[in-house]
Amino acid sequence: MKKIGLIVNPIAGMGGSVGLKGTDGGIYKKALKLGAKTVTPKRTKELLSYIKNRNEINLVVAPGKMGEAYVREFNIAFKLIGQVPEETSAEDTRRIIGEMLNGGIELLVFVGGDGTARDVYDAVGSKIPVVAVPSGVKVFSSVFAVSARAAAEIVDAFIEGTNLTEEEVLDIDENAFRDNRLASKLYGYLMVPNVKKLLQAGKEASSMGKSSVDSKGEIARYIVENMDKETLCLLGPGTTLKAITDDMGLPKTLLGVDAVYNNRLVGKDLNEKGILRLLKKYKSKKIIVTPIGGNGFIFGRGSKQFTPEVIRLVGRGNIIIVGAYGKVSKLDCLRVDTGDFEIDKLLSGHIKVIVGKKEEMVMEVRC
Amino acid sequence: MLNEIKLNMNEMPYLPPREVIEAAQKGLSNLNRYANPRDLELLRGLLAAYSGVSKKNIILSTGSDPLLREIIHVFSRRRKVIMVNPSFFPTVQCAKEFVTKLIKIQLRPPEFNLDADIITSETNEPSLVIIDNPNNPTGKILIDREMAKTILDNKNTLLVVDEAYHEFSGVTFADMVEEHSNLSVVRTLDKAFGLAGARIGYLIAGEDFLDAFSTFYAFLPQSSLYSAMEAVKDPSYIKKNIKLTIKERERVGKKLKEMGLQVYPSTTNFLLIKSNIPSVARELKDKGILVLDLSNQWLPDYIRVSLGTLKENNIFLSSMKEILRICNKGE
Repeated sequence: MKKIGLIVNPIAGMGGSVGLKGTDGGIYKKALKLGAKTVTPKRTKELLSYIKNRNEINLVVAPGKMGEAYVREFNIAFKLIGQVPEETSAEDTRRIIGEMLNGGIELLVFVGGDGTARDVYDAVGSKIPVVAVPSGVKVFSSVFAVSARAAAEIVDAFIEGTNLTEEEVLDIDENAFRDNRLASKLYGYLMVPNVKKLLQAGKEASSMGKSSVDSKGEIARYIVENMDKETLCLLGPGTTLKAITDDMGLPKTLLGVDAVYNNRLVGKDLNEKGILRLLKKYKSKKIIVTPIGGNGFIFGRGSKQFTPEVIRLVGRGNIIIVGAYGKVSKLDCLRVDTGDFEIDKLLSGHIKVIVGKKEEMVMEVRC
Repeated sequence: MLNEIKLNMNEMPYLPPREVIEAAQKGLSNLNRYANPRDLELLRGLLAAYSGVSKKNIILSTGSDPLLREIIHVFSRRRKVIMVNPSFFPTVQCAKEFVTKLIKIQLRPPEFNLDADIITSETNEPSLVIIDNPNNPTGKILIDREMAKTILDNKNTLLVVDEAYHEFSGVTFADMVEEHSNLSVVRTLDKAFGLAGARIGYLIAGEDFLDAFSTFYAFLPQSSLYSAMEAVKDPSYIKKNIKLTIKERERVGKKLKEMGLQVYPSTTNFLLIKSNIPSVARELKDKGILVLDLSNQWLPDYIRVSLGTLKENNIFLSSMKEILRICNKGE
């Protein structure tokens, strides 16, 4: 039997669909006002339902929505530890983990985003390995599994016996992120079971070398030349997409979703509600996104505004993927983790990525 | 550097027989003259016999790159070009420059399989498919005869197979050229024949390609021409060298795996290796060993290492061991 700790950050990921790019500090209250729904329960339940070796686990969980609330419906032996207030904080995460470590857990499974990973690192350091279940808005650290299902597989691999590896925890400045800048630095390393194919690569900073800039400019020109004016184009985050609006002489929210129709900006830094409103208004629509360098995510990381509902309404055939060759050729595949497995399956398979004016790459999309 | 160990260009580490070298020297003694067209015809005949095809299908060239370039120039104007990524770098560069539409299919580790369905769906309009088989740098056979036949059954598609390493893999489609006019096979004497310095390439061209090559005439340097004639006249020596290379490939691959490195199955004279040391190629270079770092062209952490002589491979192995030891100690 393995003694495994489970801790859930109940507010992680709530800012995503409402376009708030995170819930650090007091932002989650704003997210609630905007109608954000909790996303960690679904992720946690998905994780628990896919662990095969449940009979080999003695789970140690935090009370209420930090763990206990999701475990009860599964046939897993568990023990409660610590106390948590109604409104939880990073301090609660660190304190509960400390109590779990004193209780002798051998592995810690946590559900959250980059902010949660930082709190876990503060409490765990290199004492025991962890499994990180992605559920935040910013999930750029390589410590995370590619999906909740993958995290379940990693837990199983740990139970069955596997060696460990160190993976990065990134410190993303959320205020800068909200302010349209991606400022990240290495915060530390956490030990994780070494199942490389199930761990995401960390976000690789976009290359600003001349060839990369030229390449983005070339892609942008091609997209603009072939853009149907009567089609609503929803442009995801990233410098590749910004090159498109630059070419059109329009502003762009670098880390948000903007909408363009008939050469005009019709939506700026949109959240899910705003996107759905536009989708009702316009008949013809397309989503244009670029993969995250290093890990290849096109949906489910960094652009949670493209919710499963949005993707379903736009349709797979209306998704255009663009990216500089230097970035795309370094990816073994593209990834999706929208939180809705049906949508993830719909997006899976081979898809073309525009890497230049006359050049496309056929890539596999995996979930 | 004089003492560099060159494991970066997939050359044969063994010299060809004395007779082949003497033939090259004979060519050098006529340095003031062009090659005799009769001798060029003789070489075409020898290569046709070696490949089991008609002489009319053989086109000579100084290396295989000019042949691939010519094919891309001539046939990509009204066709999209389909290749895999990664692939033979000079061909890719040429395609990027000249074609009107380039589709690259990303090969994904660890299997590096090429999905036949992608080719089928992509060839719904006039296409030129260029595939290196075995693939460089994965060392994998990407298409079999059945898949080649499926591609060739579409008469709107031209298929060009680069068989630079076919003597190592034992897989060739040369015998299919007569039946399939839309197939061409590109080959070289650089690799298994150990004549990289002579730069002799040849095309086994299907009927659809022949017209375009009617004015393509390569005046090979005499030293290259005579060494090639001598080599192809009696190619028995390459069997021994191939056997040695394959034996070394298996030995080196096994040793690298024992060091904890990921080594992919190869059907060629090189190995694709994945290490978690980003600077491994540079560190090997510091030790006087040249390998190909693929990080700039493809996925990070991959290097391609050609098989050298027993002694060269042992130096490479001990250097890798040392680099890994220092790296692990540092961690």
